[in-house]
Amino acid sequence: MIKKRADNFINKIFKSIGTIILIRSVKSPKNFKSYMQKTGRCVTYVLAFDLVFVFLFPFLFMIFTSLKTNADLNDVTVNWIPTTFNFKNYVMAYKLINYNEHIKNSLLITIGASIGHIISCSFIGYGFARYEFPLKNVLFVFVIVVLIVPIQTFIVPMYILFSNMKWLNTYLPIIAPTFFGLGLKGALFIFIFRQFYLGLPKELEKAAKVDGCGFLRTYWNIVLPIARSALIVTLVLSIVWHWNDFYEPAIYVYKPALAVLPARLNSLVTFVNKPPEELMSDVESGLDEDALNNAVLMAGTFIVILPVIISFIFLQRKFMQGIERTGLAGD
Amino acid sequence: MKKIKLNMRHKEIMEGYVFVLPFILGLLMFFFFPLFVSIKLSFGKLDKVLGFEIIWLGIENYLRAFLVDTSFVPMFINVVKQTFIKVPLIIIASLLIGILLNKDIKFRGFFRTAFFIPFLLGMGDVMRQLLNLEVDKQVISMADGTLVPRELLVYFGANVVSAVDNFMGIIVLVLWNSGVQILLFLSGLQSIPVSLYEAAKVDGATEWEMFWKITLPMISPIMLLNIIYTLVDSFTDVTNPILAYIQSNAFTSLRFEYAAAMGWIYFLFIIIVVVCVMSILNRYIFLAEVKGGAKNDKKEG
Repeated sequence: MIKKRADNFINKIFKSIGTIILIRSVKSPKNFKSYMQKTGRCVTYVLAFDLVFVFLFPFLFMIFTSLKTNADLNDVTVNWIPTTFNFKNYVMAYKLINYNEHIKNSLLITIGASIGHIISCSFIGYGFARYEFPLKNVLFVFVIVVLIVPIQTFIVPMYILFSNMKWLNTYLPIIAPTFFGLGLKGALFIFIFRQFYLGLPKELEKAAKVDGCGFLRTYWNIVLPIARSALIVTLVLSIVWHWNDFYEPAIYVYKPALAVLPARLNSLVTFVNKPPEELMSDVESGLDEDALNNAVLMAGTFIVILPVIISFIFLQRKFMQGIERTGLAGD
Repeated sequence: MKKIKLNMRHKEIMEGYVFVLPFILGLLMFFFFPLFVSIKLSFGKLDKVLGFEIIWLGIENYLRAFLVDTSFVPMFINVVKQTFIKVPLIIIASLLIGILLNKDIKFRGFFRTAFFIPFLLGMGDVMRQLLNLEVDKQVISMADGTLVPRELLVYFGANVVSAVDNFMGIIVLVLWNSGVQILLFLSGLQSIPVSLYEAAKVDGATEWEMFWKITLPMISPIMLLNIIYTLVDSFTDVTNPILAYIQSNAFTSLRFEYAAAMGWIYFLFIIIVVVCVMSILNRYIFLAEVKGGAKNDKKEG
């Protein structure tokens, strides 16, 4: 009853707005409908660009700040665009992070883990979507439990497990579970694939079966090529999450030489925030004390996420198509 | 004849197990053992780290979280409060943005990429660096006064001003947190057949009515997924103070047992919340008939 009244009320408001537009449209030569559409479109664009501004803000802030000199940072009048473009920050951040050493570690983890995810989760998700077998529902409940349970709850036993397996200070503790559908948000990917397969028509697989194609070959030759959009969605999400995650790597891989890039970023922060007395020894080793500021920090942040941005630019179109086709609302 | 059928059924079961076998193995190797040890740990005291011998203590560790530790419960309540404010905001904001992006507008590709940028930066460490420089506050200060004029707010009194300030303080973070949710909604919106809207338009429905009667019911399964995902994500976020507290207890103070107990309290709480939300929302989830009809439509087209 109340809802109906509210509906009526809002309809009335809409109608009154409509009459205002109608009155104005009489004055203008264009007809009513196009006028209405135009105002609607204008509002949409203004809203969209406003939101884009909010969303792009951290990114733009990072780029502009990274190019500032020390003087620019302290100058109140310099808001966005620095007076001189100072690319030295990037050189310094590159050296301090020890970029070319640690990017290998990050790449290894990210590539290994995301490949593990797309192989295993597409496989497991297919089993959940297409087959009926005993205990299937129980297993699926476990998928949800894995999704929900925070890693911090059992990080200590995991650490002990991996130390017993002599896997500490290797990347196996992060990469190996992804090949079993676990690992960082692995359960979510199983879920995504299950939903995707549920929306696929079964006819192709049935035809393959009639032609005598075995179930593994059916999966490999017929299902996987169709599932390309879901694979790309999973790949992008997995790459981004693994690249940015340093919680697990920091615990299993504590040798400094094996640290991943985001972890190095953390040490750059402590370096920038160091009191000046402690910096003296660093200055002697050729670092400019003045230059250690937030601009360097932002430059470091930028080069750390640069590989993710590059890979996203390459996968972007396919990714967005994938999002459209994944059709998660199925089931 | 009957025998062949039975064999077919067996074959199907076998094939199904082949597909989920990696997951079962993974559970056995990397999940059940740590989970079991963690439960045992939370009820006991670690005697030897190497052999992992545990002395049974009972619920002492659990009692400690509630009775002895003065910082756990307030922190816990604070996290819960923040989550319950954040989740509905994220869902609403991402649904609106999803609808906006689903419209036929120019520069759609650009918009979609732009809305994904905060996600690329990651809500992990990179974003934390940015937040340390108070980037979110800068956005708000730029927007201050343009969205809602200050003078107007002052009329309403101090309460309203502070409420609006609080809201503005949280909304930027909410928007930056909603990248994945926008994508999920977008993919859900894409799968609603256009024929439904066309039919509604022919019957003279307004946009408003179409939203409540078509979009919302059709998108309700994805809404559930999204709400669960957002809940879990904000509860298990790296920046979450309670997880940082558990972490520091385990690895800085080396109180593994206590950390495990706190972890379990937290985990059980999340499970209860998720189960409650699921059972409540399941009643409002729209499935079945129309969905079948929609699929038929697709086949015909």
